[in-house]
Amino acid sequence: MQIIDLKLGQELYGIDIRYVNSIIVMQNITRVPKAQPYYLGVINLRGEVIPVMSLRRRLGLEDDVFTPSTRILILKPDDSSESVGLIVDEVNEVVTLEDDSIKKVNYDEKDEKAVFSAGIGKNGDELINILNVPAIVSEKNV
Amino acid sequence: MDVSQYLEIFIEETKEHLQSLNEHILVLEKEPENEATINEIFRAAHSLKGMAGTMGFQKMQRLTHDMENVFSEIRNGKMKATSDLIDVLFKGLDVLETYLVNIQSEGTEGDYDSQDIIDALNQILDKGSGKAATSQAVQKPNDTKKAVADTGKYKFLSISLEEHEKMAVAKAASLNLNVIGLTVYIQEDCMLKGARAFMINRVLEEHGEIIKLHPSAQDLEDEKFDFDFSAFIITNETPDKIIEYVMSVSEIKEVVADYIRLDENEFNTYMTAIKQDEEGTSAPKAPKELDSLKEGGPKQPKQTGKPVANRSVRVDIEKLDVLMNLVSELIIAKNSIVSSSSAFDQQANPEFFDQIEYLERITSNLHESVMKVRMVPIESVVNRFPRMIRDLSKTLDKEMELFMTGEDTELDRTVIDEIGDPLMHLLRNAADHGLESREERIKAGKNPVGSIFLDAYQDGNNVVIEVRDDGKGIDVEKVKKVAIERGVITPEQAERMSDKEIIDILFVPSFSTASKVTDVSGRGVGLDVVKSKIEALGGEIEARTKKNVGSNFIIRLPLTLAIMQALMVKISSEKYALPLGNIQTVENVASKDIKIVNNTEVLDLRGKLIPIIRLGDILDCNKGEDKDELFVVVVKKGERMAGMVVDELLGQQEIVIKSIGKFIKAHKIISGATILGNGEVALILDVNSLI
Repeated sequence: MQIIDLKLGQELYGIDIRYVNSIIVMQNITRVPKAQPYYLGVINLRGEVIPVMSLRRRLGLEDDVFTPSTRILILKPDDSSESVGLIVDEVNEVVTLEDDSIKKVNYDEKDEKAVFSAGIGKNGDELINILNVPAIVSEKNV
Repeated sequence: MDVSQYLEIFIEETKEHLQSLNEHILVLEKEPENEATINEIFRAAHSLKGMAGTMGFQKMQRLTHDMENVFSEIRNGKMKATSDLIDVLFKGLDVLETYLVNIQSEGTEGDYDSQDIIDALNQILDKGSGKAATSQAVQKPNDTKKAVADTGKYKFLSISLEEHEKMAVAKAASLNLNVIGLTVYIQEDCMLKGARAFMINRVLEEHGEIIKLHPSAQDLEDEKFDFDFSAFIITNETPDKIIEYVMSVSEIKEVVADYIRLDENEFNTYMTAIKQDEEGTSAPKAPKELDSLKEGGPKQPKQTGKPVANRSVRVDIEKLDVLMNLVSELIIAKNSIVSSSSAFDQQANPEFFDQIEYLERITSNLHESVMKVRMVPIESVVNRFPRMIRDLSKTLDKEMELFMTGEDTELDRTVIDEIGDPLMHLLRNAADHGLESREERIKAGKNPVGSIFLDAYQDGNNVVIEVRDDGKGIDVEKVKKVAIERGVITPEQAERMSDKEIIDILFVPSFSTASKVTDVSGRGVGLDVVKSKIEALGGEIEARTKKNVGSNFIIRLPLTLAIMQALMVKISSEKYALPLGNIQTVENVASKDIKIVNNTEVLDLRGKLIPIIRLGDILDCNKGEDKDELFVVVVKKGERMAGMVVDELLGQQEIVIKSIGKFIKAHKIISGATILGNGEVALILDVNSLI
């Protein structure tokens, strides 16, 4: 499985490369009133209007501080659906993980954010929290 | 048989004929003696039968044939158009429509057997005219024989054969085969004579080899002929048999045929030539036309070689969508040029600014033209309603009449495709719940025949469609009671709600006041579906009612879906677009002129009190300092007005509407987004929903 390796603060996260359409630099975001708190607004991506989400807010972390290394990942949760942007602190590289190096983690049942993880991958010494993209985009897990 | 290229035309025209039949049979029911109507019905039924036959849809052909028999009797004055008969005819039309739908989706008519209707028709025929009716669509070949004496019809006799064709004739004669020349006359009202000719040639090919066609196969396919053509065929059959075969194709007026023989001299010359030929090259030269026909018709680049008389073009709606998208892109590009041009000095570059203005004009005109191309009169949707109301009148056992105005009002094709169902639903509601029973109406001193009105008209940038009835109106108390029972509202809430708010509950999901669930309406899905459908089209719906006078459902739809004129405003530091269509005026108001009445801010606008809405508060914008002077955008919806407070006016602009996607939620007044000249995204505010 190929994943895009990205950073929020010091933690490493991974997103299955199949979901990723493109990676762009930070853009002007237009705020959308009464949107879900983790949606910062919408951007113009080559003539299309695309909603963008703060991954930090979605995972319940501290708010973003935009730096020159901040990136927006443009994801397509499934073939037919619309695109959605995901703001992250930094994008590192594409890594290939063997299937048996990815471990399902038994989280505390009460941890409602657990559904956002699809497993923990091991890349050398580093542990990568692989994100469950459909769950992150889906409304059911608010 | 390859008639697929005609299938689209067939479907379109069949739809038109069915619609015309529906309309005229309705008229016939009211005016059984109307001769023009009967003729029109007969004509439509006849064309329908012919086309179905051409395309090989036999069930359709058979049913229309029997219907046509009935029409023919009516036309000859031998039968009266009774209500029973009309019922059967309508049933027949419904079946035909089912066939058509199946053909459209699957390419075949489907399994439904129309025998019961055919039987019913024949029964009526027997009773009505006192003679047995034929139930098979067989043409009588004998009819043609009468004309044999008329030699002027034997056009093929005057066609001269070419050398190689004569050679083929001679060869056939030497092999004891018949060579038959024939001229086929197609009925002058035939719709697809090219297809007809194609079919005739197929029939001929089954019984022999065609050696010559006049005009050529290509011309026949392109319909470049009058209503007759000639053919020469080598066959085992006799001319009479050939006539019979050709007559089995429908819509043929007449066929004449006879043996073709060469005189002896010629015959001998060609026979020697053939012999020599066979010694040289073994294969005889195949006539050109024969070749091309064997391949199923010449496959030259398809020309729509119709005569110039037809000035319209059928275009796939997808192509128009692409065109509209390109125009949208162009407008965005133009907007960005306009926005970057503001950096230039207008005095120094007058020509540049002239050109920019020119560009703006062209893009606006282009947009308007493309929009017009996409516009379709609402007629294509509403013309099936009279028939529906008639049926409803029977099933509900209520007398009612539908009055329609503004059928020529035009709407975007996409809207037209979607608006049919909601309108049908509202009409059914009006017929079922709105109108009272006959007895109740008499008691109330009303005309026993209920009226339903469907009015369409353009109002500024909107198209308004009203569905009105003169029934008992919506019972506000009953709605209130049911709403409380169903837990939609609490009794306390109900106390505080105005009648208007109560009526709006009708649009809440799964709310139906019908005390009895009937077949017609009230199946749990109701006005909420209508509402969401209309909102999906960017429109809105409102209900008004007056006890014992009737109810009125008003639908407002935007003229176009993709591009509109907007007023750009700034609220706090954010830019928003307000659709220009709703805006009445823009006022410069001193903040001390805004008064508070009943806890709401109002403004006395030239004698009229209008509520003031602070958009900044609604949109959770950062609060700026209080200013002495405010910009108030006055918006009007129907009779009501309201003033929207904004911080800055940025000017008018043509904007392209984009969706913000389904993932992100937004305040209900945000109807979409647009991309500004500088690439920023601005949200579009549907201020109407605030009024």
